[in-house]
Amino acid sequence: MNMKRLFSIVFISLFLVPVLLFAAGTKEQAKDTGDGVTTLSVYHFLDQTDKTTAPNFQYLVDVFEKANPTIKLTFEYGYGEAFHDKLQTMAMSGQLPDIVLLYPGERTSQVTNAGLVQDLRPYLAGHENEFADMAMQGQGKNGEIWELPEDISITSIMFTNNRLLKQLGLTLPKTYEELLAQGPKIRAAGLIPISIANKDAWPMQSCVAGMLVERACGLEWFDKAIAGEARFDDAEFVYAMEIIKELTDKQMFSPGTNQLAYGQGLDDFVQEKAVYFIDGGWTVNNMVGELTAEQKEYMSLESFPDIPRQKGKSLSTSATAGQGFGMNAKLTKAESEAAWKWIWFYSGPEGSAIRQKFGRLPAYNLDEPKDADPMIQKLVAYAGKVPMGYVMDSVLAAEPIGTFNINLQNMMFGTKTPKQISQELEAMVTAIGR
Amino acid sequence: MTFSQQKRMSYYLLLAPGLLLFASIIIFPVAYSLSLSFTSFGGYGKPAFIGLENYVKILGDEVFLHSLRNNLLIVAVSVFGQIPLGFLLAFLLHRKMVRNGNFYQTMIFLPITISPVVVALLWNQIFSSSGMVVAIIRNLTDQPQYVMKIFENRQMAIYPILFVLLWMHTGTYMIIFFANLQKMTPSLLEAAQIDGASESQMLRRIILPGMVGTIATTAIFAISGSLKAFDLIYSMTGGGPAHFTEVIAIYMYINTFKYYKYGFGSAASMIIVLLAVGLILILQYVSRKFERRFE
Repeated sequence: MNMKRLFSIVFISLFLVPVLLFAAGTKEQAKDTGDGVTTLSVYHFLDQTDKTTAPNFQYLVDVFEKANPTIKLTFEYGYGEAFHDKLQTMAMSGQLPDIVLLYPGERTSQVTNAGLVQDLRPYLAGHENEFADMAMQGQGKNGEIWELPEDISITSIMFTNNRLLKQLGLTLPKTYEELLAQGPKIRAAGLIPISIANKDAWPMQSCVAGMLVERACGLEWFDKAIAGEARFDDAEFVYAMEIIKELTDKQMFSPGTNQLAYGQGLDDFVQEKAVYFIDGGWTVNNMVGELTAEQKEYMSLESFPDIPRQKGKSLSTSATAGQGFGMNAKLTKAESEAAWKWIWFYSGPEGSAIRQKFGRLPAYNLDEPKDADPMIQKLVAYAGKVPMGYVMDSVLAAEPIGTFNINLQNMMFGTKTPKQISQELEAMVTAIGR
Repeated sequence: MTFSQQKRMSYYLLLAPGLLLFASIIIFPVAYSLSLSFTSFGGYGKPAFIGLENYVKILGDEVFLHSLRNNLLIVAVSVFGQIPLGFLLAFLLHRKMVRNGNFYQTMIFLPITISPVVVALLWNQIFSSSGMVVAIIRNLTDQPQYVMKIFENRQMAIYPILFVLLWMHTGTYMIIFFANLQKMTPSLLEAAQIDGASESQMLRRIILPGMVGTIATTAIFAISGSLKAFDLIYSMTGGGPAHFTEVIAIYMYINTFKYYKYGFGSAASMIIVLLAVGLILILQYVSRKFERRFE
């Protein structure tokens, strides 16, 4: 063999080695490190740059790990759409972490419908009554519970700045007509009547439409529509959409609401540029850190006023069981028990008490907090008194609700009518399935 | 083994790692995507074959057609905006028609070095309802409810994004043309000057004909880049409001990752590939005609 040939072979071999090493992948970290410590991977939805939620979550982790020295959790975080994109990729590639945050309904269906996570009902046996009824509703086809909801998400609260109301000589409106009548006076003062940021399209559906559907149609109609015994283009549903259209035409929402990024709505309210702000109860978590002590005195949580020809319950809101942790179906018995310890800690009595102090509304039934932040106390009090209807995106499939969200924007721009968007929703739900 | 056989064997062996990488990263995903595009795969379970149903639905979807329109506008801005502007700026700098050429060269190239997400955030601060421009107009006109309506107009909403794309990518083409202009034989231009040719005559008769190949290459980059435009637009508007600024890549993303229609999304991505190939073939035909004319 001549030198040139030998050199070529050596060169090619050296070139191939890193390629093969790369293709071989990395060794998976042992779950049991041999010293009795079980290591579990967790994938969680969290904005690590958020100065409120990130430290709050870390506090929970620290408390858990201190109480459970034989369990080590390694966290990976995602936020926004990137969280869901990565979750899908992990699910499809068979690399789902041991514990993963899941959403009710269709949002994480590629995990729950594919048999990748365990049914938590055996672990919950005997504890069902400790949770809000909404949290214990079946999530799977056969009533499985794939994730233990951490919160009850109230998605439609009309936060009210009572100081501005008083300054303008107004009072909390008892009817929809009163609310509309306040609009010109509020705008004349250079303020926003109802702050809401709808660039992402879901806030108008989640925080306004669902609540108005319950008011206009009633919960019985809603149940029938979900079951296919009523239609989304029925007159009462169209009426709910007409109310959103009227609110838009009468400039009751933030100017350019469909251009405002989510978060701007809260900013405008905190900076007292808006008299009312419609958002979900999760925003109280941010308000705890954003509002001053003085502001917390005069900010209140109210319901959208009753509408004319209302069939639903007075001052009702929309709510759903929130997201929660589930565990990988491939875990061993010992790993599952360790994973359950975290899930029970987080959504059970201990973690719920901590999260309640931080401004969440836990799905676990707790007494009203006495020493909690004023905004949290107001949230708990509000949740205890209002009737609740459904959030549309928790009862309809992803594509119909995604299209409906965009159509709400179209309706607000005047490119589609309330009747058209209702008909399109009904057509899509019928085609895809309820 | 003969010497030429040995040579051929060495070539194959040396190319093998690169080809393997290319096949695994490019060929296999494209082929897999093509096969998925004929199915109704929802992310789990077995893909069910449905033939051309996805393609038929896509081509009849008004949201897709609007996205296609937006993409074609981006292609037009790239080919007829970024490239001519980039060339003009390169020509001005190369012929030293402006003072402090190095400063302008840096400033024009700077936007392309910034992450598209950062660019989107910056321009959102300018254009958005809560941004700088709107705040200034509200103060000057005493209209606290003023908003820029352009984003709420289905036909016009894409234009601010086209402007940002023009601002961001012109520098790339400027640098490419500048480098190619520097490669031109200086004596050719000096001789033309001595013969009494003006700048515009030198541009039309010497420089442009010599740059036909470069222009064709940059146009290919422009077309393929425009058709897969995603990051800046998604960061700025998410394709909204109401699909007004959506492009095919965002359409594909939403259908695949939000609606779990992997087969449908794959079909949309195949359409991007076909469009790109089609437009590039047309471009190559046109550029060959120009090259023959100037030979």
